[in-house]
Amino acid sequence: MMDAGRHPLIDVFTLSEVIGLEGRPGNYQATVRTAPRYVDLDLCTGCGQCSDACPIAVPNEFDIGLGTRKAIYSPFPQAVPNAYTLDFDNCLNDVILACERCRKACDINAIKYDDYPKEFTIPVGSVIVATGTGVYTPYQKGDYGYGIYPNVMTGLEYERMLNASGPTNGKIIRPSDGRTPKKVAFIQCIGARCALEGGEYCSRFCCLNSAKCALLTKDHEPDVDEVSIHYIDMRAFGKGYDEFYRRTQAEPWIKYVRGKPSKILEDPETRNLILYTEDQATGKPQKRDADLVILASAGMPNREVTTQLAKILGIETDEYGFFVSRQSSTQALEATRDGIYLCGCSRGPEDIPDSVAQASGAAALAAKHLADHRIERIKEDIPQVDTSGPPRIGVFVCNCGINIAGVLDVKKLAEQAAKLPNVVWVQSDLFTCSDQAQRVIQERIVEHKLNRIIAAACTPRTHEPIFRETIRLVGLNPYLFEMVNIRDQCSWVHAHEPEAAMERATDQIRMAVARSARLEPLEAKELKVNPSAVVIGGGLAGMRAATDLALQGFPVTLIEKTERLGGRSRELNVTFPEEYDAETLFNEAYERLKQSGARVLTGTEVIGVDGFVGGFTVKTDTNGDVKAGAIIMAIGSDIYNPVGEYGYGMTKGVITNMQLEAQLKQGEVELDGESVKTAAFVQCVGSRDPETNPGCSRYCCATTVKQALALRKRGINVIVFYRDMRTFSHHAEESYREARRAGVVFVRYNDDRKPEIIGENKVTGIRAYTEAIDDIVEADVDLVVLAVGLSPYKEAYAKLKEIMKVPTGPDGFFMERHPKLGPVETNTEGIFVCGCAQGPKDLTDSVAQASGAAGKAATLLANETVLLDPTTCAVSFDLCRDCGTCVAICDFHAPERVAIGGGLFAAKINEALCKGCGTCAAMCPTGAIKARHFTDNQISSMMRVFLLGSEA
Amino acid sequence: MDKGVLVIGGGVAGIQAALDLAAARVKTYLVEKAPSLGGRMAQLDKTFPTMDCSI
Repeated sequence: MMDAGRHPLIDVFTLSEVIGLEGRPGNYQATVRTAPRYVDLDLCTGCGQCSDACPIAVPNEFDIGLGTRKAIYSPFPQAVPNAYTLDFDNCLNDVILACERCRKACDINAIKYDDYPKEFTIPVGSVIVATGTGVYTPYQKGDYGYGIYPNVMTGLEYERMLNASGPTNGKIIRPSDGRTPKKVAFIQCIGARCALEGGEYCSRFCCLNSAKCALLTKDHEPDVDEVSIHYIDMRAFGKGYDEFYRRTQAEPWIKYVRGKPSKILEDPETRNLILYTEDQATGKPQKRDADLVILASAGMPNREVTTQLAKILGIETDEYGFFVSRQSSTQALEATRDGIYLCGCSRGPEDIPDSVAQASGAAALAAKHLADHRIERIKEDIPQVDTSGPPRIGVFVCNCGINIAGVLDVKKLAEQAAKLPNVVWVQSDLFTCSDQAQRVIQERIVEHKLNRIIAAACTPRTHEPIFRETIRLVGLNPYLFEMVNIRDQCSWVHAHEPEAAMERATDQIRMAVARSARLEPLEAKELKVNPSAVVIGGGLAGMRAATDLALQGFPVTLIEKTERLGGRSRELNVTFPEEYDAETLFNEAYERLKQSGARVLTGTEVIGVDGFVGGFTVKTDTNGDVKAGAIIMAIGSDIYNPVGEYGYGMTKGVITNMQLEAQLKQGEVELDGESVKTAAFVQCVGSRDPETNPGCSRYCCATTVKQALALRKRGINVIVFYRDMRTFSHHAEESYREARRAGVVFVRYNDDRKPEIIGENKVTGIRAYTEAIDDIVEADVDLVVLAVGLSPYKEAYAKLKEIMKVPTGPDGFFMERHPKLGPVETNTEGIFVCGCAQGPKDLTDSVAQASGAAGKAATLLANETVLLDPTTCAVSFDLCRDCGTCVAICDFHAPERVAIGGGLFAAKINEALCKGCGTCAAMCPTGAIKARHFTDNQISSMMRVFLLGSEA
Repeated sequence: MDKGVLVIGGGVAGIQAALDLAAARVKTYLVEKAPSLGGRMAQLDKTFPTMDCSI
């Protein structure tokens, strides 16, 4: 957020709307209208004096009306920009003459009551629609009493209550009496998967969101006795989601209850709620009570707003008001007008990892219209702060709302820090990461000539880059910043032992101060970037990534091991949900690839990769070396081989869904030339199983629905045995409904009681226990279709893992850098991953992610140079005895032997390959290797103050 | 004004798209209806499954 606010190439217009779009792709003129803020953006420092002076309090939209705000306000502490906004509709100056309290309270005259709306036009080559989604408001859902019973609230309202900067500062209370609830009940699919009210679609994010809120409930309020989640199917389909779901299932106080309550009534005396549900064991109606009910409301756009915007942009929306993709399997990110792209929830509900990947994808597509309009990198001229003198340390202790301050005595921590050696300035803030607090840090550096900064706050993983950039902008070397994690590693994990936590935080800060004094400024080295890319894997994802990069003007080579492009898509009959002919789909994609100018090498295998970010050499078996600045891995995944399960490979009539797809492609579904009467599908074969693939394979439920409908069209009876129907993808829920209407029978089986096949050599039937009737269901069938999961290509992955230095996760798929911050990046800079190589997914998500990888790769390739992280290791030739230990142990092949004259050799570390892990420095017998930013001197100073209590 | 990309919406998707474009040296105009960037994600407390802070 803050990065976007201060990037020189991003102009942010808040309180603004697009009101017109003229022209054509590559040459649009957008008209934007900015509403008056009545506060000067350039002058306002966000001090808040105006708000303190304001006598008016109105419900706060950001807290969905749970809290209040003033008429002049900032929506939340970390707002960007951090300037205040005057809501003139609620301002006294509007109705009574001259209140003017805020104007008088403002020392810098930033408030201007005569501000007015402005309109202006911007030349744009393309447009990205990232308008997100609204949330379904369940007033219509009268059965659940929202808006009538005070203790029934929506998921988003609950989310605000959990938030440390929300209306209750993170306390969970019952709105009726302010009491902490004992029993909290979540109800899923509010306004989703319902033909009567809301939408028929699946809202994708709510299942896991409620699971997350359930965990947080006990974190915030240890006295809560029970959290129940009332659901239809748990759709934990994302990477790591099923594992997360299992973790919540293992908590004895979290109860998953299948089935939506029929109604909720309130006990008028206690204001407790009675949920009418079904007892799963007996199938009889039962009542469950709860103190607080959370309705997991679906994502749903404000249709009036989106249809209005659609009209302005000349694109289409669907019946709910979501923007429509040109074609959902391979052109999901393209709107129905050229040069306009979609990402995130604007085209349907999405979770954060998918939204972020799509955003990078939309960036790749939008950038192709501006390939000739890239802006030269602006040379910055920031005078450097002299750091040669004695250390002058500034310590900033963050409250993080109640995340830290709820456990630790922040004031005391600050007082203690003030007494430590070299500390010149100490302060604490509600949120040290807020724009306002960052500005204060910059001011203090100048004012007090600070040359070392410490933030005692949260995790460096997400926040260190922000702080480093903050101090860099005022000329302080970013490596003179030190972060102490007193939240994740202290107040969170020791929440129930505040005294011990306090002791620990004190130690952490003391150690950081000692280390900070010894930090040295480090300069990042610049490396030249070769602007070309290699994409490995020629399936639809790889083809898409190559196309999107080539259209942006980067030379691309697509390398495919087999003789033909298209990968798995060539085995498909039609795609889901549009029933688009798969061969036509491939041909269209191939045509786009050809026109993009990408070079294609089929029948070519990658046998090695040399070099590093910006300058890789990809070695192939048949086509020599290919040079590239970036590499995208799009090698797809294998299909689980179910041999031995459900009689597969032994019993005739048991086939996989891919084999069925091949038959559907041929036309008739037959068994030994005889027609099939009844077919049964078994879901989750090789998925959601800790033994094989712990996660969900994402594609199979929707595929089964597609195939079941195709079989019904051929007059074949169909039974589907499933655990949770995860038809979450675009239009899948609607198809699931259609399948039930078409007579497909869905039978749920339990995780621990899989269906059994009947028949010795040839399948004659199938039986399974189902909780719904607490009995065994048995059916005569002549075909059993196993919906097999996706699994890693064991050998190919092992080889690439070694060649690329990209790790695989516990599920065997390649690991992304971060699920939300870097879903298509890997831990090796310059190497990107997309499609099923990163984890199972359907065609739509694979291809969208491929565009995302192209977008991310472009951020590297569009720049002539890339900065290297200078926290690497270095060898002192004087001390090196050429023993070769470092060369042997480094996983990244960074150290090498070099001649240093006089017939002598020593180790030298290639900084572009070095990850700064420090293993070599630890192993070096002569102490010749120094790990920059983690030197012996810095580390031992921390040990000294920890063990001895002082630096003596 | 430099020709660029118009990004409508300053939530997590819009911000990510803008940052990627800007990093690829493409001028970006980020238009948000509310007084602040952040969108829906800024309203959340933590995010699943890694429980990272939303801000």
